[in-house]
Amino acid sequence: SLVIRGEKDEHAVLCSKDKTYDMKIADTSNMLLFVPGCKTAEELNADPASCNIIHSQIAGFSNNYWELRRCRPKLKKLRKLLMEDPYDGPDSQEDQTSTFSKYTTEDLLSLIQASEEEILHQLQVIDACKIEGYWRILHFDYQMKLLNHVTQLIDSESWPLNKVPLYACLEELGSLEPRDMIEHILVSYGRKYVDAGEVFFEMHEDKICRAIAQMLLQNAVKFNLSEFEEVWQQSVPEGMTTRLDQLQGLALVDKSSRPETIFLLKVEDLPEDNQERFNSLFRIREKWTEVDITPYIQDLCAEKQTVGALLTKYARSSMLNGVKVYNSRRPIS
Amino acid sequence: VTPALSHSGGAGALAQWVLLELQGEVEPRQSGALAGSLLGDLHYTREGVPVLVVGHHILYGKVVQLEKPFAVLVKRGGAPHGHYTVTALIKTKLLFKTRPKPIITHVPKKV
Repeated sequence: SLVIRGEKDEHAVLCSKDKTYDMKIADTSNMLLFVPGCKTAEELNADPASCNIIHSQIAGFSNNYWELRRCRPKLKKLRKLLMEDPYDGPDSQEDQTSTFSKYTTEDLLSLIQASEEEILHQLQVIDACKIEGYWRILHFDYQMKLLNHVTQLIDSESWPLNKVPLYACLEELGSLEPRDMIEHILVSYGRKYVDAGEVFFEMHEDKICRAIAQMLLQNAVKFNLSEFEEVWQQSVPEGMTTRLDQLQGLALVDKSSRPETIFLLKVEDLPEDNQERFNSLFRIREKWTEVDITPYIQDLCAEKQTVGALLTKYARSSMLNGVKVYNSRRPIS
Repeated sequence: VTPALSHSGGAGALAQWVLLELQGEVEPRQSGALAGSLLGDLHYTREGVPVLVVGHHILYGKVVQLEKPFAVLVKRGGAPHGHYTVTALIKTKLLFKTRPKPIITHVPKKV
């Protein structure tokens, strides 16, 4: 079945179980008449008895119709809704009975312009979890608190990073935090698997390093790059190696400043609309290399569209010191 | 607002309709209403070419298989939970875009 979704101030979309389509009204100067049961020449040929007159009724006519075009699901709103009230842990001052700014699956289905599968997939991508029937995102600080418990335990137990036992974590940390939160952080930052009937997690090195970088970067406007890299490597769990490419879409290095600096720039904080996204990127930096801009426009690519195609459409290229750079097509205010 | 669309019930496949596409407008004769009036006669030649006779004009058309089929929706129920039902699919259209030719009856030559 199909569903049309959208609030009064949004353009309507049509959703199947797993796809989203933009809806547009198409006008034609021709007249379109619909005839139920009208037979084509082949159908009449096949039926020799039909030499008589068949009375057919025209059911209706129209000058316009709805055209559907597959589009990216509009999921930015999902994160925005769940960030209205991030979960801070059981000790927080949170009013447990208030359901304001809390969303069930049904709520999200009626507010988000995307198909059900696309919504459920995105909930997984952003590490949302269901608490008392409502979808919640954990506050970043609470996530770091939980992660810290787990990484310290891994360290003190000398578990290999790719074989962290669920049961032992729940036993050891269950007195500090709710068990479902401990399991949730393991699921968010690791890959669950079963070995000889026991559940283990292979910890996601890149994701953990990335989260710790965010924790460090969010406290200042920008950092001296080499100082940051040193502190960052020291802050990650034993056995993990930090790399700048782990920070794609999260932070940007300014190679033109002396000394080089790094600052937080999260792709999920940028506009969803293509033109607005490019405008905001060019406001932040006038000229971009393809390598630098790609993590910030990758998610705009439609099915079978490349980053190169987007750059051709929304940017203008030029050479700067022998390197190809992209800037805005028009002046940015 | 999430109006839902569903199959119009009934067993088996959806009804198949045909689209008749005409260039320009159709006007009722003698300023009556379109509803209930006869549009004209549809014929097919032996080669399968659709021919439409409207009033005293004849139009030749062609059968087009639609690259993007249409779904016909019928709205049921009012706000706030309007509902659209898919009534039929249209995969074929009869396109008439040539100029209508007037049918002139044979005038015998004066002897």
